[in-house]
Amino acid sequence: MSDDKRAAIPHGLQEAGGLTDGIARQLSRESGVPEADIYGVGSFFHLLARPSAKIRVCTGLSCVMSGANEVLEAAKKAGLPCEATSCLAGCDLPPAVLRDRRVLPSVSIADVERTGGDWEQLDSSAIAPGEEWRGFVGPERTNPDELALDLLGPDDKSGKSFQRAVELGANGVIEAIESSGLQGRGGAGFPAHIKWRGVQGQSETKRYVVLNADEGEPGTFKDREVMLRRPYLMLEGLAIAAHAIGASEVYLYLRGEFEVPWGIVERAIADVTERGIYGDLQFHMHAGQGAYICGEETALLEALEGKRGMPRLKPPFPVEVGLWGKPTLIHNVETIACVPSIVARGGDWFRELGRAEAGTKLYCISGHVKQPGTYELPLGITLDELLEVAGGVIGKLKAFSPGGASSGFLPASKRDLPLDFKSLGSVGSMLGSSGVVVLNDTVDMKWAALEQLRFFEAESCGQCAPCRIGTRYLREATEDNLDHGAAGGTTARGLAHVADVAWQMNEGSICGLGQAAPLPLTSALQYFPEDFQS
Amino acid sequence: MIQETQIRINGEKHSFRPGETILDVAGRAGVEIPTLCHDPRLKPAGACRTCLVEVEGQRKLLPACATPATTDMAVVSESERVDRHRKTLLALYATDHPSNREASERGAPDELLDMIENYRAPTDWGAMASVRANRHDDRNPYIHFEPDTCILCARCTRYCDEVEAVSAITLAGRGSETTISTVDGLSLLDTSCEMCGGCIDVCPTGAMGEKMPLTRGDKPERELEKVRSTCNFCGVGCQVDLNVDREADDGAGRIVKVTSPPTGTTTNDGNLCVKGRFAYDFVHHPDRLKVPLVRGADGEFYETSWEDALQKAAAGLQGVSERHGKNGLGFVSSSRCTVEENYLVQKLSRAVFGTNNVHQCAAT
Ligand SMILES: Cc1cc2nc3c(=O)[nH]c(=O)nc-3n(C[C@H](O)[C@H](O)[C@H](O)COP(=O)(O)O)c2cc1C
Ligand code: SF4
Ligand code: SF4
Ligand code: SF4
Ligand code: FES
Repeated sequence: MSDDKRAAIPHGLQEAGGLTDGIARQLSRESGVPEADIYGVGSFFHLLARPSAKIRVCTGLSCVMSGANEVLEAAKKAGLPCEATSCLAGCDLPPAVLRDRRVLPSVSIADVERTGGDWEQLDSSAIAPGEEWRGFVGPERTNPDELALDLLGPDDKSGKSFQRAVELGANGVIEAIESSGLQGRGGAGFPAHIKWRGVQGQSETKRYVVLNADEGEPGTFKDREVMLRRPYLMLEGLAIAAHAIGASEVYLYLRGEFEVPWGIVERAIADVTERGIYGDLQFHMHAGQGAYICGEETALLEALEGKRGMPRLKPPFPVEVGLWGKPTLIHNVETIACVPSIVARGGDWFRELGRAEAGTKLYCISGHVKQPGTYELPLGITLDELLEVAGGVIGKLKAFSPGGASSGFLPASKRDLPLDFKSLGSVGSMLGSSGVVVLNDTVDMKWAALEQLRFFEAESCGQCAPCRIGTRYLREATEDNLDHGAAGGTTARGLAHVADVAWQMNEGSICGLGQAAPLPLTSALQYFPEDFQS
Repeated sequence: MIQETQIRINGEKHSFRPGETILDVAGRAGVEIPTLCHDPRLKPAGACRTCLVEVEGQRKLLPACATPATTDMAVVSESERVDRHRKTLLALYATDHPSNREASERGAPDELLDMIENYRAPTDWGAMASVRANRHDDRNPYIHFEPDTCILCARCTRYCDEVEAVSAITLAGRGSETTISTVDGLSLLDTSCEMCGGCIDVCPTGAMGEKMPLTRGDKPERELEKVRSTCNFCGVGCQVDLNVDREADDGAGRIVKVTSPPTGTTTNDGNLCVKGRFAYDFVHHPDRLKVPLVRGADGEFYETSWEDALQKAAAGLQGVSERHGKNGLGFVSSSRCTVEENYLVQKLSRAVFGTNNVHQCAAT
């Protein structure tokens, strides 16, 4: 059985219509992959595990605040084969609903009722029939020379920056990346050049570049906009990275719900391949199958290899032991999309775009804000500055999540903190994916924490005990508190042990999911104790 | 240079060989580090998190089972932080696990409960009902799975893959609902399972356990006496531990189950096959031959001495040879014989009775 056969399993299951009885055995006969392994994979990914659900309503915080639960109820009542799902990266146009593999923005109860129970008829009246939707992008494009990504600008298809990279040579490119101060935009903020040099320095000559387009952190949808608007920019970044580290193959991992971005990226790949502007560089696209954890880079590699998306132990890091054991450079979509302009305009230019940290940053903002959307602004602006370009808060600001569910909550008093990696890290939060969610004073923070805990529980891979048990424990404990100990089927335990459980999850979990999962609850308890029953 | 291959554990120096993990070195040095998902036969998973220790210069606690020892590494396995880690981790495990031994230890000893006691972990954090699914009506006679006691250490699935090369079982589902399953939740009989029982052997909690003693309502393993023996089903000579209930059958005693000696202690390294592990019932079967019998003139069997029985057999063989010629005889030896025994059978056949008609039932 070859690596390729195993790698093709998730797609094979998708083609077969998901994990239904007998499918794993059939695929096993065809591929030689053990049937139990195929079953294990199918049962891991929710788009495969429950194939009868055709309509999935996002129950991420921003969507729930815009009536997602009511839409879900209406869908059930209308007889649609539906279920709740985790964030669909459509928080700027809530509530987002997944129809098969396509995200529909701003779905209303009327839209659901109009289907007459036929799920295929579901559409959003917020978009014109046949039109492909995009989110709002700002601020207005006054000076493109101060924008690294320039989402509103034309998507340059010429490959000029790649040519420049070839002239500079691998070391020249990596030096530019280093002087630019580019930090990973996927969540960790790790300096990009260290990874590039790390891969470049390996003795193994087979290397890979992997694009992380699994965008699943609740509140985050910027990578979607990059793919919708600047697919050529992104491909050029990948080509430059491949050239610099000596890779001849690039893998693009797009979350399975990104049907629309998929089509756009696929067409752009076909075009650049046909024109041969990146030599014989090969692009391979891989669709996720519904698992937030596969955004974690080593879980992503496992999924690419056709396995259950369970994070690997680190070290060794992917730069050393990555895809199929080979040195691998993994980057987030936004990080990669910064590369062409760094190469074209120089590292110093990019660094100076930011404040304390380098470059411009795509900030996503959703929740109680007048104009939700993606905003390219200097890295290190404050919430107030972001709110200003986004039209301001709806109601009175109570709290915000600066960087997705994993960053927990901060009180309104932190509104003048620079939204960058270091400043947010120093208050026990993080910039993460810079998915800002704004909450006004109608929100009960215990309820908000509970929504986030539900997310982490549903998305834990289940591999390690602190996270597998801890996410559920915290959710049940918070429900106990919400219901005065009336939660069904469990012993009331209240919040007495939350600090210990959170400590354990942070110390003991294998990956960032389990380590960050308690944060929404512990930060809500820290800043909003009055919202909890004592 | 000696210092190149030394690490410090709790301040004391220990030498290591390249490729050894912190756990390997600690094990040789007699430093206790708890483990649940570790098994020397398997690649480290680092999933149970019980073995985490402090390593100087590392921000995070590291799994001793999966972290290679490196020169001048300084490891701390006893500290306030490690102690808090063990206590809080085990307390969490306890919320998702049957708390009384009777419920959890229906068959094999439950190492998790032992560990919770040993490390004095709090057990008052509340209890959550198990949400792990079971396979429905698995009609296989040997192996049962009790999801409530399963801690998802994945020793069973990794054993089935890495040692047995069968992969009949898998981690299935995700998050708190993760469980152990076969393809489509089928009975093990309808999968590639070879019934080696290795999954039972590696299971630290008894969640994967042997069915027959449970069906018979036998005593749990902890109350049985282990008697080392040699499996006599084939010539390999695997060591087995007969788990005996001395008081059973009115004091006659009874073999309740067979377990394999700990890995690393005998040549079979903790492994057995379906016969050695599960085919022990014959020992107590009423039809079992315990004394030599020969047929009398009336056609019935009568008890006799070995000497007499062998004489009768020899005479019978000789008679055939005389009446029908040397090749009127043929010898077939049993697959239970050792190489030496097989050699003797062909010697008997060729040298004593002068025929090449000799075969071994396991040859094809
Ligand atoms: C639970 C979890 C989820 C993650 N999800 C994503 C994601 O959806 N997209 C992403 O680019 N990075 C995600 N990451 C971060 C990646 O592990 C990795 O750091 C990143 O892809 C590296 O690229 P960068 O250096 O460009 O940021 C996630 C990390 C964790 C722990
Ligand atoms: S922390 Fe959670 S998501 Fe990460 S490996 Fe452990 S169980 Fe899986
Ligand atoms: S009995 Fe052996 S082959 Fe069958 S599931 Fe267990 S380990 Fe695998
Ligand atoms: S059945 Fe036993 S060996 Fe298998 S995962 Fe559960 S506890 Fe571990
Ligand atoms: S024994 Fe090391 S993590 Fe389980």
